[in-house]
Amino acid sequence: METRVVGSLTFTIDFSIPLYEQIVEQIRHAVARGEIKLGTKLPSVREMAQKLKINPSTVVRAYLELEHEGLCEKRRGQGTFITTSEKKVKDLKFKLAQEAITNFIQTMRLLGIDQKTAQQWLKEAEWK
Amino acid sequence: MNPIVSCQQVTYRYGKKLAINQLTASFPQGQAIGLLGENGAGKSTLLKLITGIMQPNAGQIKVFGETPNWQTLKRISYLGDRAQWYKFHRIQEAIQFAQQLCPNFQLSRAEHYLEFLKLNPQDFVESLSKGQMMRLQLLLCLSRDVDLYILDEPFSGIDLISREKIIELLIELLAERTATFIISTHEIYETEGLFEYVFLLKNGKIVKKGKTDQLRAELGSIQNVYREVFR
Repeated sequence: METRVVGSLTFTIDFSIPLYEQIVEQIRHAVARGEIKLGTKLPSVREMAQKLKINPSTVVRAYLELEHEGLCEKRRGQGTFITTSEKKVKDLKFKLAQEAITNFIQTMRLLGIDQKTAQQWLKEAEWK
Repeated sequence: MNPIVSCQQVTYRYGKKLAINQLTASFPQGQAIGLLGENGAGKSTLLKLITGIMQPNAGQIKVFGETPNWQTLKRISYLGDRAQWYKFHRIQEAIQFAQQLCPNFQLSRAEHYLEFLKLNPQDFVESLSKGQMMRLQLLLCLSRDVDLYILDEPFSGIDLISREKIIELLIELLAERTATFIISTHEIYETEGLFEYVFLLKNGKIVKKGKTDQLRAELGSIQNVYREVFR
């Protein structure tokens, strides 16, 4: 795994996972955590490809995926921008939180812990 | 989409030694394709057969839908067994010479790449290090405007900075042009992000192939896939 910085973004590239998925995933999380401000311009395809040492078409594919989700928008002749819609970000946070909960439940079940106990422990857990 | 190169049951022998063994493969158009394999796997032979420099003993190769010939060669730029350029030329003169010699050579592009690859046009070819020499070869090869670039081992045996410069130039080219690149290498770690499609060649046969992101999803990194095949 290697960490590479592109503008204000930091990526960790793991060659054992499809590359475009990693770019999509890491931009998603950066937006949800507020590390990228709404309306920010993403690095150009060329810059991103150069910094990450990957094929430009992989970056194009990742940006397209983010556009389809509505998390990014392409402005003609200007590049790709993070959405300005607060609602989109709220939806994304909800989606990522749901994913985390699903993972949590999965782990508890594998450990043989029932719902009631897990909920109790969660209630007692320190929130920091 | 039609493949840019297709091989049907292709066989090539050096005397008794079988270099390419009934190989069948279709190379997709408009992509950066890695041809991976150990030394002696048949990579260089296969690339020479695609250019038409050599003809197969059996089987059929089609490039742009035709059997390789001098017309198809015009649409191919090939970096092969270390083409010889005049040692007494300065880089500047080597570029002018290539412009007269090679179809579709773009002088403006060559000048731009000089800067990109940090080569001094006043340096003599004779005085270049191995890495600088490879940069020059690549510059001459990539300054041609063609449909298919075939690069045989452009990364091997050269210094780190030259390798990085070459990778940067290839990414630049991939960003600005829709051409097909077939690049043979056994140095995968630094280059695996470049390829959209790979073929793994062993004993003159394709033993694994596929879209890189698909192979990653199924089997892990291309480096891993490579290790499993060749270990």
